[in-house]
This record gives sequence, structure tokens and C-alpha cells, in this order.
Amino acid sequence: MSHAIRLQQLSYRAGRDFALRALDLAVPSGSVYGFLGANGAGKTTTIRLIMGMLASDDGTIDVLGHRIPEHVVSALARIGYVPERVHLYPMLTVEETLRQHSAFYPTWSGRDAARLQHAFGLRADALVGRLSKGEAGKLMMLLALAVRPELLILDEPTDGLDPVVRRDVLAAIIDYVAETRATVFISSHLVHEQERMCDWVGVLDAGRMIAELPMSEFRAGIKRLRVRAARPNVASLPFRVMSRRPVLGQEEEWVVCDWRPDMRAAFDALGDDVLLRDVEDLDLEESFVELLRTSRGEVSLAAPLIAPEAA
Amino acid sequence: MFERIDPRSPVPIYAQIASRLRVAVASGELQSGDSLPSVRALATQLRINPATVSQAYRELEQEGTVEMRQGAGTYVSSVSSDRRRRDRVAEARRLVRDFLDEGARLGISPAELEQALDETLPGRIA
Repeated sequence: MSHAIRLQQLSYRAGRDFALRALDLAVPSGSVYGFLGANGAGKTTTIRLIMGMLASDDGTIDVLGHRIPEHVVSALARIGYVPERVHLYPMLTVEETLRQHSAFYPTWSGRDAARLQHAFGLRADALVGRLSKGEAGKLMMLLALAVRPELLILDEPTDGLDPVVRRDVLAAIIDYVAETRATVFISSHLVHEQERMCDWVGVLDAGRMIAELPMSEFRAGIKRLRVRAARPNVASLPFRVMSRRPVLGQEEEWVVCDWRPDMRAAFDALGDDVLLRDVEDLDLEESFVELLRTSRGEVSLAAPLIAPEAA
Repeated sequence: MFERIDPRSPVPIYAQIASRLRVAVASGELQSGDSLPSVRALATQLRINPATVSQAYRELEQEGTVEMRQGAGTYVSSVSSDRRRRDRVAEARRLVRDFLDEGARLGISPAELEQALDETLPGRIA
């Protein structure tokens, strides 16, 4: 499988309190990759490293086959980038901004720019400094797409935008992907948006990657089990128990990963009175929250985490 | 037609789309020869990954519900009335299973559900 972005053992220290530690990340070409993490997890720092805007302490970065930072210019020519914060020249009009931006990109498509400008309802003579937050967000997306990039890197592209603008922006991304099969790397804490679009998920927490897998596996493997009368310490199980919480009476809620339906049988071995009452599906947001709780050791456990083998 | 597509459901989105279209064909809402939206149009409309729409269309093509014509789009095939009836029965069974599961989750017995159904049905059948 070829990768649009590949980070290997990437380390970066920013001050005393924050560091990316030995980060491995691989974005398959043609995927829509959701880069999830809480605020402050290091998503923007990772993106700035990928874009060659920061220098790493250790490890390697490859983007579209170009080693970063040595060959960053070749990579940037093929990337459409929407940064977390809008940076545009406030004194230019929309039209002047498009002309200025197009000068940097030989692949710039005036036709795409005009089409998106119309779809987004951006007036050519509007002064950028006077645009609403939503209009500025749409202009940023237009600039990234009109470059006709092979890779879109979007840092919280819809954060703070109203639902109508958010839909327009997401639809423009989807339309572009359907046309070109470009790779999209989209960082967000808006989990529900990712759930619709992404076919890969990577989860970053406190500078560490705690999960990276196809969305379908992520969704299929994490379950909430309702278990009755289990002893505090249970022997090894074929799945991984991420958390255990007492609910009512003898009943407990277990959140497990690497689950498969044939693993129900494992409960037969735990004793006659132990009962697996129910297996519930979690949506992406619940799975994400459970992963973070486990990774941070915030869960109060009746028994230590049972990890038959590290994932 | 796709208002009920729910990305948070445990049923994968592609399977939800395929199932919705299968029922539309079975109920006659979609007729033989009707064209389906392009992958790009439907993905953009639902703001979902285009590969998800392709996967749904491929599944329907394999079972003979639709036909994908190279470069010309996706069309509803002619599906026998027997097959359409079977698909409606399968969908009805699925709805009843969901209904029973939901009852069980809330601690309502099948007998109580049946009684409620008997009481409600006469008013619904015109």
C-alpha cells in the first residue's frame, strides 16, 4: 500500500510540558483519514511538522514520496492546506486574493475557483477583512481546492463554523474527492463529521498515537458488554478489556476492543454464575471517549487492565 | 429517500444505503429503468465517502437489483415480482426484530407488545 503521508518515530519537544513521542502514522493514498484528538493533543503540531513549518527532533516524515523538510517545496506544490487559523490579507478583495494565491501554483484551476466562488456565494469585490467567519472559512477551502491538490491537509476546517457553512465546506471536499480520488487528512475533534466521511482513523492523545485503523474495524471491534457476577480478577480473555464499571447490583459494564462475535464463548469458562447479558455497539464518539479514558488511566478499575498482548 | 441514513448506527452506511434502495425497488417506489444518482452526487448530498456509495451500488449490482453501465450511470434492473415480494417480507421481518429488541431492552415482554399491536392495528388498517 502506498502512503500519502508517513511518519516514523517522529519526535518533537515544544517546551517543558508538551512533546510528540515516537509518533508512527501512515495515511494510505486515496483514503479520507480522520485525525482525532482532544484539544491540545498535538494535532496542529503534527500537521505543522508534516508541512515543514517546524523541525522535528527525531524520526522521518515523508509526504507524497518527498522527504520533509529537505524536499518540502516539491511536496507543498501538490498539497492543498487549510490551517487552523485563517491567514489572509485583510486589505485584498476576494478576487485579488485568488489572483495572488494562483501565482504560487502552476496547477491552479481558474475554472474550479470560479465554480467554488459561485457555490460558496463569495462576492469578487468583497474585502477579505470584512468577510464573516463563515465566508473566510469558505475562502480558505476554495484556495486549497482550486490548487487541484493530490493531498488535502485540513486542520479543523469546520471548527467554529455554523451548520450551513459546515455542510457547504464538507460537500465541496467530498465532491473534490469523488472527482479526483485525492487523499484527505482531516484533523478534528468534531467526531460525528469524521464518522460520515472517513475510511481511516488515527487517534492522538497527549503526543502519542493510541490507535490507527480502518474506520470499519474501529467501529466493529469496540463494544460495550453487560456482564453479571464476574469476579474482580478474571483470567486471560481473547479480547482486551479497556474498562470495567459497576452499574446496578452485580451488573458491570465492560468496554472491550478487538471483539468478535465468536468470543461470547469465553464467558462460559469464567464460571457458572457469570453471564454475558448484552453486547452493545458504540458510535465513533463513544469509542473515542473510551479510548482516551483508557489511555489516560482515568478509569477506576475493579481489576487492572487486561491486555493479553499489546495491540 | 435517504433521510434516515444514520452514521452512528452499528449498521455500516453502505449497507444502510443498499437496504434503503432495495426496499424502494421492492415497494415500487423505484421502477425498472429508473436512474440512481451518480456516486459523486449522492456522496456529496449525504456528505459521505464516495467509496461508501460505490460499495452500496456494487452490492446491489451483484444481487441483480441495479445495473451499472460504464460511463452512463446506474439504473434499476427489472426485478421479478417474486423477488420483490421476498425482499418486502425480509424487510418486514427485520422491522419486527428491531421492534422486539427495543421492547426487550426496555423490559417489555413480547406478549405485551403483541397485545398493544392487536389494539393499535385495527385503527391503522383502512
